[in-house]
Amino acid sequence: MKLEIGNFFVKDIVFGDRTFYERGVLTVNKKEALDVVFEDSHITEAELYIVRPGDEVRLVPVKEAYEMRCKVSGGQSVYPGCTAPVAPVGSGRTHALKGCSLLVVGKHWGSFQDGLIDMSGPAQRNTIFGSMPNLVLVGDTDEEFERHEQQKKNRALRWAGMRLSEYVGKCVKDLEPEEIETWELEPVNERASDVRNLPSVVYVPQIQTQMEALGYNALVYGWDGNRMLPTYLHPNEILDGAIISGSFMPCSSKISTYEWVNNPMIKRLMREHGRTINFLGVVLSNLNVVMEEKARSAMMVANIAKALGADGAIVAEEGYGNPDVDYILTIVELEKAGIKTVGMTNECTGRDGTSQPLVALDERANALVSTGNVSELYELPPMKTVLGELESLARDGLSGGWEGCVREDGSVIMENNAFFCSDHISGFSLKTCAEF
Amino acid sequence: MLKAVHYINQFFGQVGGEESADFEPVLQEGPVGPGLLLNEAMKEVKITHTVICGDNFMASHPEEAVARILKMLEGLKFDVFLAGPAFNAGRYGVACGTICKAVKEKFGVPVITSMNEENPAVEMFKSNMYIFKGGRRATYMKQDVEKMAAFADKIARGDKLLPASMEGYFPRGIRHEVFLEDLGLEPKCAADRAFEMLLKKLKGEPYETELPIPKQERVPIAPAVKDLRKVKIALVTSGGIVPKDNPDRIQSCSATKWGAYDISKLDRLMAPDFKTIHAGYDPEQANKNPNVVLPLDAIRQYQKEGRIGEVDDHYYVTVGTGTTQAEAARMGREIAQRLKERNVGAVVLTAT
Amino acid sequence: MVVICNLVNIAKTVGVNRIVPGVAVPYPLGNPNLSPEDEWKLRYHRVGVALDALETDIKEQTVFTVKI
Repeated sequence: MKLEIGNFFVKDIVFGDRTFYERGVLTVNKKEALDVVFEDSHITEAELYIVRPGDEVRLVPVKEAYEMRCKVSGGQSVYPGCTAPVAPVGSGRTHALKGCSLLVVGKHWGSFQDGLIDMSGPAQRNTIFGSMPNLVLVGDTDEEFERHEQQKKNRALRWAGMRLSEYVGKCVKDLEPEEIETWELEPVNERASDVRNLPSVVYVPQIQTQMEALGYNALVYGWDGNRMLPTYLHPNEILDGAIISGSFMPCSSKISTYEWVNNPMIKRLMREHGRTINFLGVVLSNLNVVMEEKARSAMMVANIAKALGADGAIVAEEGYGNPDVDYILTIVELEKAGIKTVGMTNECTGRDGTSQPLVALDERANALVSTGNVSELYELPPMKTVLGELESLARDGLSGGWEGCVREDGSVIMENNAFFCSDHISGFSLKTCAEF
Repeated sequence: MLKAVHYINQFFGQVGGEESADFEPVLQEGPVGPGLLLNEAMKEVKITHTVICGDNFMASHPEEAVARILKMLEGLKFDVFLAGPAFNAGRYGVACGTICKAVKEKFGVPVITSMNEENPAVEMFKSNMYIFKGGRRATYMKQDVEKMAAFADKIARGDKLLPASMEGYFPRGIRHEVFLEDLGLEPKCAADRAFEMLLKKLKGEPYETELPIPKQERVPIAPAVKDLRKVKIALVTSGGIVPKDNPDRIQSCSATKWGAYDISKLDRLMAPDFKTIHAGYDPEQANKNPNVVLPLDAIRQYQKEGRIGEVDDHYYVTVGTGTTQAEAARMGREIAQRLKERNVGAVVLTAT
Repeated sequence: MVVICNLVNIAKTVGVNRIVPGVAVPYPLGNPNLSPEDEWKLRYHRVGVALDALETDIKEQTVFTVKI
């Protein structure tokens, strides 16, 4: 399966009469763009903004981040099963506006899974989005049933974001890319003998699926991840839109949809394929909340990996707390099957740093990468502009905020937990954890 | 210039050796002994006072010793508290840890000490204070002092403190997230770190996990003794059975000492020649018949019957109540060493 | 080494591999409720189990059975 991603490197975004891209500048026609948003009558209010690195802007509650892109060939949509019918992705050509994102922010109401992004100041570096220009959709909906709920499906806004990101992405559909990334991985059984002699590796992402009601969890081709068993995916499928992020995870642990199609772990494994490893592909797993389901998923991951002949595995847990059980169980099952495993996730050490960092432990989980600590406290200065509503951090049950954490002057104290995707379990994290 | 108080024991305080171990705490002006080296090494901190206290006084009367020392410090103005270095000296290390912990709790100042990794006080106190990794013996004085001094200076200057492994002290069990660039390290993303770790693991090369999982207590299984008659057996107990005058003054609680007592001429332990000093259980039965805790009589019977061969001339004892894991481990190591020296091949240990 | 103690779980936790149960904390190898003769038999038996344990090959932590 071969996928070409044609990249257009966006240095700046501006509003203008047409939506087009030229020499590093993405111009967006605001009215046309908002028309796409308002296609869903559940959207009651919407406005578009542009934020750039260095702007004194704080965004909260951020619900999702998308890369603006479109299918050129090999499919109709980069959101199969969601905004378009179910269809395979991962081959043909996709064009992407690179180095920028579309952020979806609630006008007022936040939820447990929403987060904060600062475009400047001490917390700019806490998320990758602080270092890129972003088109920002700020909206409100008529989803009364969840208006005051801590868990929100955020459906209208998230789907609006998907539609909008594809609308803008289409402006480069017929252009010649500045760079083409080629992602190719031959069928497992058709690899040259010199490739087969390299140590073979699987990537095992465990996507967020802790809600038992539908509408919150990460989706695979539009299917709820809680209702799936571990399965095999070609890495191209993920790079081309097969996984949509869910709306449940405490925010710093979340892997945004943007990060799935830019997944640096997959890209590194693909680049190393044929050189240092034989990348067998992705064994996709989940993080359900019933012990038997955790055990079943861990077992099946190990079975699939073993049947593929994996020598090594990298397990990434999109979460903390009870999902740590899935994480450790899966690592242990892989190790028991003789597959050398590295784990990658964040920790939760409590505010004083002394709590056990993972809820479950096992000596066999002896190779772990730590991408951050949800409990880390941060003091943020006030920001000139807030897109969204600052008080949502304190009022709406965001994972790292609490009543009173937002001061009158706009300064904030919060846990890392509430930074948008800041632990970058996708692999982007430039943080680790250390003992003091 | 910050002010510091320095704690040392009777030996380093130039009072005397083991015979002066019961030396009661005193406060002196200025640095003493290793304090002079420490003082010279520090650029931003100076030692205004020194506390000298006998290791035994602290070990036997910790509450009293601490109370007196805290009182001495009450009138003083100081910003940092330093102790040791204590190298591998168990009692001295525990003393440093004890006083540092108390000072930190009462005065809220940073406390810094130094010990060798095998000092049992490390396990006991590392979560409460900065214990710098030190050498085993006083020959390492200069290096250990320099490390303490450099860190004291860092604190004085308000420098950003790095993780324990980079600063050189025993990790205190406090984990924080850090940006790699803040550690002066190349900001490598997690994906690259994970890949490189996996490659090393696959190749069998050493790598360092970013989240060490604490080890579970497991002891390798000793092979079975083929024939007990050919092996010397020793009796050991944590039940505190000692000769009637407790000649080594083993403590009844929180023991830090163990004893070895001659039973070569005995067929059984007789009261009142032997008794228990263990404060953690009702002593009535043990004092009536010490064999219920240390079964010498049964062992001798088996010896007579030819079931077993030689029995060590001595039995070995300490008290297992309140005794810290670290102290017990140290004593265990020391007893094991003695057993090895005496060619013992099997042990029956009774615990209460 | 074999450990004779009443609190078998603690022995297990700290990693002891050969364990023989004791009667009670204050008297692992005694029992004031028995006659001196029966108490002696108990002590003799359990110490015997301990000696047997020393000569027994084991693969994992083992608590040996006593009859009296």
